[in-house]
Amino acid sequence: MSEESTKIKESEGTWQDGIAKTITFIVTKDCQLACKYCYLVGKNEQERMSWDIAKRAIDYIFDHESDFPEKSVIFDFIGGEPFLEIDLIDRICDYIKVELYKRQHHWFDSYRFSFSTNGINYHTDKVQAFIKKNASHLSIGITIDGTERKHNLNRIWKGEGPERGSYIDVVRNIPLWLEQFPGAGTKVTISSADIPYIKESVLHLYSLGIHEVNINVVFEDVWQDGDDALFEDQLMRLADAIIDGGYYESFACSFFNENIGKPLDPERENRNWCGAGKMLAIDSAGNFYPCTRFAAYSLRSKRPIIIGNVYDGIDKNKLRPFLTLDRLTQSPQKCIDCEVASGCAWCQGENYDAALSPTVYQRSTAICLMHKARVHANNYYWNRLFRKLELEGKREDFEKNKIDVKPEIC
Amino acid sequence: MLRYLIVLLDDTSTSFCHYTASNKEPNLISLDILRKAIRWAMTENLTIQFVYPSHELLDEWNETIETIDHVKIKPATAASTSDADVVVFEGLEAIDMPLSKRDVSIVIRTRMSDFLDKHDRLHKLLAQANRLNVVFTDVDSFADDDQKAYDEALASLSLVVKNEYVNNHPVQFNLLTDRIMLTEMNNCGAGDSTITLAPDGQFYVCPAFYYDADGYPVGNIEGRLDIPNKQLYRLQYAPICRRCDAYQCHRCIWLNRKTTLEVNTPSHEQCVVAHIERNASRRLLEAIRQEGEFMSGTEIEEIDYLDPFEIARP
Ligand code: SF4
Ligand code: SF4
Ligand code: SF4
Repeated sequence: MSEESTKIKESEGTWQDGIAKTITFIVTKDCQLACKYCYLVGKNEQERMSWDIAKRAIDYIFDHESDFPEKSVIFDFIGGEPFLEIDLIDRICDYIKVELYKRQHHWFDSYRFSFSTNGINYHTDKVQAFIKKNASHLSIGITIDGTERKHNLNRIWKGEGPERGSYIDVVRNIPLWLEQFPGAGTKVTISSADIPYIKESVLHLYSLGIHEVNINVVFEDVWQDGDDALFEDQLMRLADAIIDGGYYESFACSFFNENIGKPLDPERENRNWCGAGKMLAIDSAGNFYPCTRFAAYSLRSKRPIIIGNVYDGIDKNKLRPFLTLDRLTQSPQKCIDCEVASGCAWCQGENYDAALSPTVYQRSTAICLMHKARVHANNYYWNRLFRKLELEGKREDFEKNKIDVKPEIC
Repeated sequence: MLRYLIVLLDDTSTSFCHYTASNKEPNLISLDILRKAIRWAMTENLTIQFVYPSHELLDEWNETIETIDHVKIKPATAASTSDADVVVFEGLEAIDMPLSKRDVSIVIRTRMSDFLDKHDRLHKLLAQANRLNVVFTDVDSFADDDQKAYDEALASLSLVVKNEYVNNHPVQFNLLTDRIMLTEMNNCGAGDSTITLAPDGQFYVCPAFYYDADGYPVGNIEGRLDIPNKQLYRLQYAPICRRCDAYQCHRCIWLNRKTTLEVNTPSHEQCVVAHIERNASRRLLEAIRQEGEFMSGTEIEEIDYLDPFEIARP
């Protein structure tokens, strides 16, 4: 690590964050893996998007340009595993590009294609040809959970017989991925059983050359007694490792963020957290959703929230609850009064799934103790880091160069 | 706070509101449930509104009903309406039926298209009645193209209402005078101030939730009332409505649920209809004032939207 450098690496955030519309194609519900924590309760091999549905969705969206006034667009492809449908995706992306040009659409040259992949097919000829063709408009995230031991705990191959982890099948593609997307980050999701491996996992991802680790705890109510204390301990160890190893100079971990853990002003800071309703997701049947988490295959106990389809268009009445949701109306009193509320996230889909009645207006607080533990470790991290920077005479320089991070939650 | 208990005496009890009491065969509430409902209302300090079917009730039921102070809501087709507090007519054709009592509240349930065609039929009634409520059974299919016609229909009825006021007959007509009289929201209150008990012994937020396949009970008379996310039925928890001043609007919880899937969020159509009424009330107030002093201190502001969603988005 360079002794001179005091520029702290901050998370890159999402492209055109907040001003881009995200349109998600659920191209398949199939995947090569059967991850143990996967929230997609209804995964299957039958539901693949047809070209006809994809084309109708694109035509509807482009025919209604004034309903999509955002400056930019992210076309997101998810599954299951999206690269299982690379032929369809290639056709969709070609069609989008041609139509944007033909229609002189305001998204022409302000679009991205985005993928979250398990990385297994990344090196294949078809995927590589697609990447080369669309290189300047792509973002691709490969999910790798950390060390081999940790990754293979959850991310196992589908099928009968003894469990087989997928670590080596993914990690072999990391160098190619990082060569093609040097700033790329990875998303890690933490559930109860993963807590003991957090520190080693983040450091392992750094050692693979991944500079940005976006890491979140799951929103579901999976936590056991004592998990918060374990979690805090892991994060403190990670904080020490990042500071002592000087990783903060060029690596980022979204767990540590200066803005979290403060009270929120009821008037000025009343915005909803989650972007559901401002996004649009389309499934293989041609149904529209406010976000993929409202599709039947992601819900445990509630009916899907379908806001239209490619034939009849969007029912704007069904979007009204999402577009007028604010923090206070959905939060219990303890969150309104909470001293450490900032950065305590929620997922509208999980709120809906866990609610006592069919509503998106009941905030689930299953992560309460985990957030508080994170705040403790986060305070420790910044206090230690700032003290170190002060002693080294680098604090002022840091304050000048710092960038606000908007954490990703989904 | 809960103040009213609506008791559906039979599965074929009349609808008095936006919903349709559909697909049900006669099925009288049991005496046991009826007695429990009355006892519960007394212990909770609630006013009961009994909703009647067309057919006669047996003596034992009538006698039980009379053990508590109450309001009777009856269909105009009931064998006797002389003791009714509210009489419900189905459609504008039906209002030619003779009414036995003038000081009864009249509810007319109609489709919007019929109202636009036949609102002239209300003239006579406006001259006679003390309280007239028109309730639309298809608010959710109101098209933006209907706005002008609805505005014109209300303007034409305003002339009649104005004359009644000038001639010292201050008729209450929900579409035009409620907004003038109100100084704060006065919505239907389903799930907040009002709860419904159906013949099956279960509580519902409103009768519509009993008849609608998508409805759900919120407790039963044997156990207790248990409304999950009860706060969402209150005005403060309705992000669009709490910014709104169409005080006369029903803010129909059932239509909210049906059209937006959330009990606290109204549809565009419901808001537009209520705002056309609000604005017509504003013009009526001005017109009455041209004839003399009236409701001094009451003002209805001019606004430039018909759907408060436009001002409610954070
Ligand atoms: S869930 Fe807990 S930590 Fe988060 S805002 Fe609410 S009270 Fe605070
Ligand atoms: S929710 Fe209220 S306004 Fe709507 S139908 Fe029921 S009683 Fe009528
Ligand atoms: S007009 Fe719309 S916003 Fe206003 S009270 Fe009625 S339903 Fe609510």
